[in-house]
Amino acid sequence: MTLDFSIIVDNWQLFAKGAVLTLVIAFISIGIGFLLSIPVALMALSHRWWLRWVSGAYVEWFRNVPFIVVVYIFFYGLPFAGVRLPEAVVGTLALAIYASTYFSEVIRGAVLAVPKGQMEAARAVGMSYFMGMREIVAPQTLRLLLPPSTNTSISMIKETSILSTITVAEITYQGLVVQGATFAPFEVFMTTAVLYWLITSIFARFMHGIERRAGIAQGGNQNRHSLADKYLQIGTKRVQE
Amino acid sequence: MDFDFWGMIGAFPSLSRAAFTNLTIAIVAMSLAMLGGTTLTILRSFGISIVNGAISTLISFVRGTPILVQIFLFYYGLPAIGLDLTPIQAGVLAIAVNSSVFITEIMRGGLSGMDTGPVEAAIALGVRPRAIWGRVILPQLYIRILPPLVNELTTVVKGTALLSVITVIEVLRTAQQIANTTFRPLEPLLAAAVILFALNLAISQAGKHLETRFAARRG
Repeated sequence: MTLDFSIIVDNWQLFAKGAVLTLVIAFISIGIGFLLSIPVALMALSHRWWLRWVSGAYVEWFRNVPFIVVVYIFFYGLPFAGVRLPEAVVGTLALAIYASTYFSEVIRGAVLAVPKGQMEAARAVGMSYFMGMREIVAPQTLRLLLPPSTNTSISMIKETSILSTITVAEITYQGLVVQGATFAPFEVFMTTAVLYWLITSIFARFMHGIERRAGIAQGGNQNRHSLADKYLQIGTKRVQE
Repeated sequence: MDFDFWGMIGAFPSLSRAAFTNLTIAIVAMSLAMLGGTTLTILRSFGISIVNGAISTLISFVRGTPILVQIFLFYYGLPAIGLDLTPIQAGVLAIAVNSSVFITEIMRGGLSGMDTGPVEAAIALGVRPRAIWGRVILPQLYIRILPPLVNELTTVVKGTALLSVITVIEVLRTAQQIANTTFRPLEPLLAAAVILFALNLAISQAGKHLETRFAARRG
C-alpha cells in the first residue's frame, strides 16, 4: 500500500473552500453563541427560581443531547415550522445555540468566582443589580473567562465538522466529496484532520498570546519539589517551557 | 403539516431497544479508554523523551481534530492501509482512542493536585514503582477524578450517536430508518433526542450519587 498525496494537491481548491467555510461558520456561531449565553448565564444566577429553572433546563437539554441530533432536529424542524433557510445558515444557528449553553456555564463559573462582597459593595453604594454586574463584576470576570472560553471555542470549531451531515460544504464534507471521487480515504481524512489541527492549534496559540498579555498565568506554578514529582508531575515541565 | 405526537410516542419502543447498542458501545469504549488513558499516564511518568514526545503529539492531534473525522479515519482509512474493521469495531476503536487521550489529560490534572505524602512515604519505604501505581496512586486518583470521568462518559455516549454516519444501527440511525418509512423525520428524531438525554442524565445522576458515597474518601 502506497500513499498518494498528489490527489490532495489536485483537489486543494475544494479543501481551501471547505476551510474558509469552516472558519466563517465557527466564527459567526461562536460570536452569536457567546452573546446568547450572557442572558442565559444571568438567568442562571438570578434570585427568581423560575428563571433559574428555565435556564437550567435549556442548558441541561443541550449539554446532554449529541450535537448531531440537535443539528438534525434543526434541519428537519425549521422547514416543519415553515422556515426555509440554506443548510449553512441552519447549521450556524444550531451551533450558535449549542455553543450558548457551554459559554453560559463558563460565564456562570466566572461570575461565581468573583467574591460576593464586590456585588454587595456595589449595591451598598446605590448601584442597581445590572449596573453592579456591568461596572464591577463583569470587568473582574474577564481574566477568568478567557482560558475556558478558548477551550469551548475550540470544541465548537471541532463541532462544525458535524454540519457535513446536513450537506454544509465545510472541510469534512469536502473530504467526503474528494474521497468519493478518488477512493483514497486515508490520505483524504488525514488531510482533513491536519487542516482542523492547524486551525485549532493556531487559534489556541493566538488565544494563549492574548492570555499572556492579559497577565493570566498558565498552568499551576507550584514551587514544590518532591520525591513524588516523578509520579505526580507528568509532563508539566514540557508544558511550561 | 401537523406534529404527529402519537407518531413520536410510537417510535420509543424500537428506539429504546436501539439505545442498548449505544450504551453497550459506550461502556466498551469507555473501558478501553480507561485502560488506554491509564497506560498513557504511566508511560508518561517514565520521562522518556521520545515516548513523551510521541504521546504529546498524539494528545495534540486527537484534541485538535473533530471526533467525526477520527471516526472516518478509522472506518474508511484503516482498511486502505490493510486493516479491515466492521463499522462497530471501527467506531468503538475511534471513540476509545479519542477518550483515552482525554482521560490521560484528566489523570494528569488529578495527579498534579494530589497529596505528595503517601507517595513519598511509599518511595521512602522502598515500595516498587508497580505497587506505588497500583496500590497508592491509582486507587486515590480514580476516586479523585470521578466527576470529570463521569462527564467524559456522557461525552462518549454523545459520541456513539455519531456512529450512525458509518452505518452502525444505533438510536439515531434507527430514528432515520423510521423517518424513511413514515416520511416524518422530526418525530423519531425528537424521540431519539429524549432517549439520549435521559441516558446521559441517568449517568450524571449516578455519578453524583457515587461522588457523595466516595466523598469521605476523597483527598
